[in-house]
Amino acid sequence: MKKFSLALVVVLAISSLNVKAQSVDEIVSGYFENTGGKEAWGALEGIKLIAKVNQNGIEFPLEIVQMADGRQYTKVTFQGNEFKQGVFDGETLWSTNFQTMKAEKSDAEATGNQKLEANDFPDALYNYQDKGYTVELMGTETIDGAETYKIKVVKEPMTVDGQEVEDISYYFFDTETYVPIAQESQLKQGPAKGTVMQIKMSDYQEVDGLYFPFSMSQGTKGGQSQPLMIDSIELNPEVSTSDFAFPEE
Amino acid sequence: MKKLLLAMVMAIAMYLPGNSQDIVLKGKELFGDLEARQIGPAIMSGRIVELEPHPTNDRVIYAGTAGGGVWKSANGGASFQPIFDEHAQSIGAIALDPTDADNVIWVGTGETWTRNSVSIGDGLYKSVDGGVSWEKKGFDKSERISSIQIDPQNNQIMYLGVLGALWGDSEERGVYKSADGGETWEKILYFNQRTGCGDLVMDRNDPMVLYASMWEFRRTAWSFESGGENSALYKSTDGGKTWNKIHAGFPSGRLGRIAMAVAPSNSNILYAALETEKPEHKGLYRSDDGGKSWSHLNKDFGLVVRPFYFSRIVIDPRNPDVVAKAGVFGSISRDGGKTFKNLGNMHPDIHDITFDINNSDRMYVATDGGVYRTWDGATTMEIVANIPVSQFYHISVDNEEPYNIYGGLQDNGSWYGPSRSPGGIEARDWNNVGFGDGFRVLKHPTKNIIYSEMQGAENVWRYDVDRNQSKTIQPLPVAGDPKLRFNWNAPMAVSTHQPDRFYMGSQFLHRSNDMGNTWDKISPDLTTNDPAKQNQEESGGLSRDNSGAENHCTIFTIAESDLNQNVIWVGTDDGNVQVTRDGGKNWTNTTPNFTGLPKNTWCYHIEASAHNEGTAYAVFDGHTKNDMKPYVFKTTDFGDTWTSLATDDIYGFTRCIQEDFENPDLLFLGTEFGLFITIDGGQHWNRFTNNMPATAVHHIEMHRKTNDLVLGTHGRGIIIIDDISPLRAITQEVLAKDVHFFPSQPTIIVEESGFGGTATEMEYVGPNPTRAAKIIYYLKKRHIFGKMSMEVQDHSGKKLIELAPGKSKGINLVTWNYRVKQPKMAKGKTFTFGGFTAPRVTAGTYKIVMTKGKQTYETEIELINDPTSVLTDADRISLAGTTQKLYDMCQDLAYLVYQIDEHLEMAQALIDEDVSSKRTAQPVIDELTTLKKSLVITTGDNYVGAAEPQLREKVATLYGKVAAGFNPPSPSEMENLQLLETRFNNAKEQFDTIRSKRIGKLNNYIVKNDKAPAEIMSFEDFLDE
Repeated sequence: MKKFSLALVVVLAISSLNVKAQSVDEIVSGYFENTGGKEAWGALEGIKLIAKVNQNGIEFPLEIVQMADGRQYTKVTFQGNEFKQGVFDGETLWSTNFQTMKAEKSDAEATGNQKLEANDFPDALYNYQDKGYTVELMGTETIDGAETYKIKVVKEPMTVDGQEVEDISYYFFDTETYVPIAQESQLKQGPAKGTVMQIKMSDYQEVDGLYFPFSMSQGTKGGQSQPLMIDSIELNPEVSTSDFAFPEE
Repeated sequence: MKKLLLAMVMAIAMYLPGNSQDIVLKGKELFGDLEARQIGPAIMSGRIVELEPHPTNDRVIYAGTAGGGVWKSANGGASFQPIFDEHAQSIGAIALDPTDADNVIWVGTGETWTRNSVSIGDGLYKSVDGGVSWEKKGFDKSERISSIQIDPQNNQIMYLGVLGALWGDSEERGVYKSADGGETWEKILYFNQRTGCGDLVMDRNDPMVLYASMWEFRRTAWSFESGGENSALYKSTDGGKTWNKIHAGFPSGRLGRIAMAVAPSNSNILYAALETEKPEHKGLYRSDDGGKSWSHLNKDFGLVVRPFYFSRIVIDPRNPDVVAKAGVFGSISRDGGKTFKNLGNMHPDIHDITFDINNSDRMYVATDGGVYRTWDGATTMEIVANIPVSQFYHISVDNEEPYNIYGGLQDNGSWYGPSRSPGGIEARDWNNVGFGDGFRVLKHPTKNIIYSEMQGAENVWRYDVDRNQSKTIQPLPVAGDPKLRFNWNAPMAVSTHQPDRFYMGSQFLHRSNDMGNTWDKISPDLTTNDPAKQNQEESGGLSRDNSGAENHCTIFTIAESDLNQNVIWVGTDDGNVQVTRDGGKNWTNTTPNFTGLPKNTWCYHIEASAHNEGTAYAVFDGHTKNDMKPYVFKTTDFGDTWTSLATDDIYGFTRCIQEDFENPDLLFLGTEFGLFITIDGGQHWNRFTNNMPATAVHHIEMHRKTNDLVLGTHGRGIIIIDDISPLRAITQEVLAKDVHFFPSQPTIIVEESGFGGTATEMEYVGPNPTRAAKIIYYLKKRHIFGKMSMEVQDHSGKKLIELAPGKSKGINLVTWNYRVKQPKMAKGKTFTFGGFTAPRVTAGTYKIVMTKGKQTYETEIELINDPTSVLTDADRISLAGTTQKLYDMCQDLAYLVYQIDEHLEMAQALIDEDVSSKRTAQPVIDELTTLKKSLVITTGDNYVGAAEPQLREKVATLYGKVAAGFNPPSPSEMENLQLLETRFNNAKEQFDTIRSKRIGKLNNYIVKNDKAPAEIMSFEDFLDE
């Protein structure tokens, strides 16, 4: 924390003195440096989040695992029963059907799009050049009353309803601390396609030298949002192949 | 190091509070979580002016609207989403770059269908990311852009048609060309300050060929003139270097607005619709030789009607003989323009038509009442139900619970609808209370009577809602009266002092004390009565257009003081502000007392202060004199002196103001480009942009009970900002604090459990306001680092539930639906749905504790019972007690099942490890398994494979129905509870028996054999697990 405080002050000084001269790469590298260092982020093999969401008073716990190789799952517990959602083992994307309580594979298009995300750990912006992503500083914008740098990120094109579409999202970095406090992207399918979805991040806290947002709120921009309250984050969690494998009957 | 230290000091210094400077927060910094709520309506949608299909993807189509921005459909027109909310909402032209149509979109703002109420644009915009973000590309003073043409082979070559200013001279009009993709522009065709480019068309088969229709036109507040020597149709074959008139076959004499189109499938075939001096020459012309010669084919009504409003011709991309023309009903010809029939039945006033890129039977039509789709060549039309771009001229609210909003719409009648409705505010919630164009709609203060009107007060209705009966009550001339001049948007007002009193303004102020049955004139002519501005019969230019829209020298706004019924203010469209202090006996014209206000500037709104009878606000709109500056004035001495409150913060000409009922320094101002708010009496104005499009705000009301700000917009329907009371409490002292909790009103625990609405998937549903308890606070800085949490505690300090606090700089709003966590349920094979019920807390005061880093901040909120509730105190005690009892039963049962499971697991593990234990362990397993099967479901799934419900399911079902409801438990429920308690007690006894006998024996065995016993958590630990 000590190290970070100093870094923060330096960044504060830089940003205050010379807000306009920032380039995309200074902002992106500032982000990784200020939150633990690029090397440490590169060495990270996975994270496990213990969190909870509250919907109309109904609180339920979540366990979210994301691995550097793209494997992931979200486990939600209802009345002592665990349901896995959005599980990806590198090849198959699947979720548990709440009615039959059995695993079902996602459609080929969703699975294909999930595979494209496999290289986005710990963040899409990490080594973005190597992945062929393009990033662009769009200027500054006020988010939650704070001045931010708006950065556009274009990743590999996705397929939606049989058509190839660009995968564009926007990051909003606090101009004082260089950490992202929001992300935006357009909803890519469904009747509300085109609606801007927004994730807001806060409560950055240190876990073994890396800083993570412990509060994330997701929803439509200007509409209702769903807060995710993170109780703990474990780095490099122990996982087994069976945690991600599609359970064949 | 020295340098770094200096930087650190400077950085820290920058974040220390200023010494003597006031803290001034701008826009989003101040408003934080205060969000606008767009409630529609979309049932009648609004004026759509332009449709633009994607050139290769038939799922994608764009719609430009008169006052509601640009909307995009990605599903073949089934639904649309707004993509241009931050910029001028009046749209002239949309173009997709043919070389990158997925990403590059151009929008020229400013509608070109130049009716009296048309909004203005402010330039040309470009998006390179499919409409997510936009960049202005100049033409700030263009006001109206009619067309954008991009060379399909070279997107660096672009042409722009600028119609330009409607209300005055302007040089920013004509045809422009860019050779660098729209970065810089050169004017290539221009005549004079009255003549703009009405349409610019490129031949897609030969981008060097361009056609430009030039139009000489001018509107004033009292007249319209279409046509002149400079109106003409030009052709260029060299990319705009040279232009030639192509009039062979056109009549001689002056021309007006010309619509023009080139057949995509045959560049030689052109159609043009002409506005000419002689009626017999008007209508449709066709050329089969690229404009060298023309023949006159048709002069039916549909081809000649109102050229300023309907100059659009569209040709089937596959068949040059299929041609459609905009008009009152829209016309289509399938014989090359010789004969026409109307388009299918839909909202009238058709402005654009487009054919699907692959299938000519699929068409889209832009009307005054929304986008319509057809699958059968425009025979059968269907409205798109999710585009809420209704154009309100005026609104009002009532005192019902929930309150209703009343208002009149451009070409869409008069309506009222609720501020909330079960399931959201949807089409069925809106009620029609007037025909024609609607304007002011007012609720009688005490009776279920609504006043509404149509254009020029041709009809003013007094509608008895209960009897579904209307009567027209407009003031009629009596002996000695001159012709009564009513504005197109004629003012009316009700009195807060005399419920049956009703005012209307012509050039006189009319007052009725019996709801419009008898009228008295209580003023002389309060206008300038300038005869030069009263020749509406001659208005229109080449096409006479005397609709009443240009009636002038009329009263436009009436304000009776809420503090003194004898103080009445009147503002006129020709610039007068008059006041009476004796109920109309004597009038003072305060107009000479304004400084900085050009003469005859339209007084759009006067707001009489709620704080002081000598105080009033006057808002002026100069745009009909080509003056786009904001004019806002305040008087505190009955108009003897007027002080300007306008600052450079305000963007757009001004129309209306609302004063806060409690804090006279809190004012809300509606302009052509949105809502502006001041918290310091007009020294600084902040644009409100949270979910608030840059649409024209025509009228603002504040609801006294809810403190909601209600906006009538001319392009995005009704927009509400719920409960603006936190803005009242913002002071320098508050702004200097790290955290400040605003006081909140007690929250009513709402006793409703209905079934929601009926909207279909594609229908627009306006969101409801939250009815949860609100925790509102100001944060000086956006929270980013460290933990920030919030919890609700009871008065003893016991944590009831954790909430997610907002982290924004400015105002944060956290809601709590006064529920606490659901009970922990016994683990079974499947769900028990009653167990997903979070119980409500009871009325009372609750503590909110917010922790931010090491600091703790506290406030209190109060929950109260619904004063209209029929429950007695005893009922509430019974409901809360029974709910708690069942909640506890659920958790006790969960603990029992947990203990059973632990023992089962232990016994089975023992057997697996030590076969000789089976004699002692197996009976434990057998007896506990039998008991467990009677307690929870152990087989099946959550759908039709469900097993027979057991005790857990039965207890949870009863818990769910009691806890979710708003009635004391019924005798039937209590009997059921008794049954379940008996069963539960039996089960507990059974478990005790098994534990003392079988498990006791097994434990002895375990001790004897040095094995591990079952480790059972305490009940408290189990709940926290």
